[in-house]
Amino acid sequence: MEPGQMIRGADAVIKVLAAHGVTTVFGYPGGAIMPIYDALYGSPVEHLLSRHEQGAAFAAVGYARASGKTGVCFATSGPGATNLITSLADALLDSVPMVAITGQVSTAVIGTDAFQEIDVLGMSLSCTKHSFMVTDVNDLIPTLYQAFEIAASGRPGPVLVDIPKDIQLAHLEYRTPLLAVMNEPQAEMNDIDAARALLAEAKQPMLYVGGGVGMAGAVDQLREFIKVTGIPSVATLKGLGSIAHGTPGYLGMLGMHGGKAANLAVQDCDLLIVVGARFDDRVTGRLASFADKAKVIHLDIDAAELGKLRMPEVAIAGDLRQILPALAMSMNITPWQAEVEHLSRKHQWDYQHPGSLIYAPALLRRLANKLPEDNVVCCDVGQHQMWVAQHMWFRRPEDHLSSAGLGTMGFGLPAAIGAQVARPDATVVTVSGDGSFMMNVQELTTIKRRKLPVKIVLIDNQKLGMVKQWQQLFFEERYSETDLSDNPDFVQLASAFDIPGRTIFSSDEVEEALTEMLAAKGPYLLHVAIDDAFNVWPLVPPGASNSDMMDEMEKQT
Amino acid sequence: MIHSLELTVQQRPEVLERVLRVTRHRGFRITQMQMRMNDDASLSLDMEVDSERAIELLSNQLNKLIDVTQCKVLLPLSLQQTANA
Repeated sequence: MEPGQMIRGADAVIKVLAAHGVTTVFGYPGGAIMPIYDALYGSPVEHLLSRHEQGAAFAAVGYARASGKTGVCFATSGPGATNLITSLADALLDSVPMVAITGQVSTAVIGTDAFQEIDVLGMSLSCTKHSFMVTDVNDLIPTLYQAFEIAASGRPGPVLVDIPKDIQLAHLEYRTPLLAVMNEPQAEMNDIDAARALLAEAKQPMLYVGGGVGMAGAVDQLREFIKVTGIPSVATLKGLGSIAHGTPGYLGMLGMHGGKAANLAVQDCDLLIVVGARFDDRVTGRLASFADKAKVIHLDIDAAELGKLRMPEVAIAGDLRQILPALAMSMNITPWQAEVEHLSRKHQWDYQHPGSLIYAPALLRRLANKLPEDNVVCCDVGQHQMWVAQHMWFRRPEDHLSSAGLGTMGFGLPAAIGAQVARPDATVVTVSGDGSFMMNVQELTTIKRRKLPVKIVLIDNQKLGMVKQWQQLFFEERYSETDLSDNPDFVQLASAFDIPGRTIFSSDEVEEALTEMLAAKGPYLLHVAIDDAFNVWPLVPPGASNSDMMDEMEKQT
Repeated sequence: MIHSLELTVQQRPEVLERVLRVTRHRGFRITQMQMRMNDDASLSLDMEVDSERAIELLSNQLNKLIDVTQCKVLLPLSLQQTANA
């Protein structure tokens, strides 16, 4: 481009994306974003058309989470933008770097209740890390650069940029702005020393690992820390994959549906090292009794998490890639390691399930063992999500995409689309439930359009299973609105989108059906009919301490 | 308990909404507020807030807002007097 050459704001948007290495955008066009779609036409930036803006934004989330890059989505003003809100909230609670660009009505008519006008900036305040409305074309490029910087820096999150149509059409000279780099917190040396002193005197330390480790790119440093110290560990839903499967002392997920060994070990520890995690209520159970004998070292990039729910003895805000190596030391905790090992052996999962019915945990365990090394497992929200977390295992956190903080049903299918685009060679499987699957089922068209080889495992108990489980346990079996026995024929539904599939009912069909699904070159839907009597165990009842887990036997007595 | 905060924020049309939203959502009630435009494209915002919660739960969240350049928690008046004595 010649110096001094004028281009449209819309063209500048696409150029900024290209300058940030964005190769794919997810979106849905409409009136107020037409200039940007015009600029996209024939540009090197690929666009994946979803069939609902929520699907586009979840695909951007899936793309970001599977690749570690910033996901980008487009939507038009009004309903296009409101449809993004759920996905932005999801990205906020799970700290996913994302830039959402929305068209807005022209500046002259903003505030007149124009056609498809809604105050998106106002709506974005509670569901984004930051948001902008561009009202001067000269601010457009610096604003977009800032959006990318904010989305990915510190604790990542979604940033929305609302661009009125006249700004998209106005002309400007393209200039790369000077970037003000965000200040990241730096760990203080005396805090490191204080943390090392606590480690040195700990006899029963536990590591509580959250999603922050993966987001910080600190998986290798964490694994090295575990290797050097030998400290036993547990992970949150988002932390799964940070610690390698089979690591000595690793007890899997803790919390409401965590393993018994994981919860009991945390309850017993004398030092809890919290790494990129935030004492979420689904993790802690009754907060006052969570690891109540333990001193706490809390490490996080976000200083606002330190002391938010539990006052730590030592709090360090900073980059985990630097903090973890600074804390690593060899430790003499052999008796504790043996105790944790004993807990682990005592509370192993039992996959023996008599009868011919398909036992979903056993199916998922088998699936985990069959997946090729390069894989991504997405899931929706509910019972199947907890079974995935309990019974599957992941090589890296970016291989497990689960809507953790917001718990958004309908996440799985579009997230899998984004993951498959980000990692075209990976085997991408989305595990869904019959409730969740219907929430963004329109995205099957996106799979069809791009011939994406996403594999769908649809675990169907004809119920809104998790709600049903709670009704059974805590609401006197009053099954209010959780019966889904009028579900469509899912295999026929998939076939309408040229997606082959089959239904299995019996446990002896599982092995062959999984093989068939994974061997399919294109997309595939495996519809797994299970009995609605199966619930997720064990369980920390609401308001209870993590020491008091309920399991299936107790329920029956 | 009443706390006093002194904020310096960027002059953006929605900046007050951001501060008010975070204050409400994190469980604090504003009992007094004063705003001044500064010459350097910033605003000074003095607030008194009331809550049972620790003030850090609010000040840490306000500090995270991109448009908030500074958020200072003032010592309660009684402690200020002790400090000055």
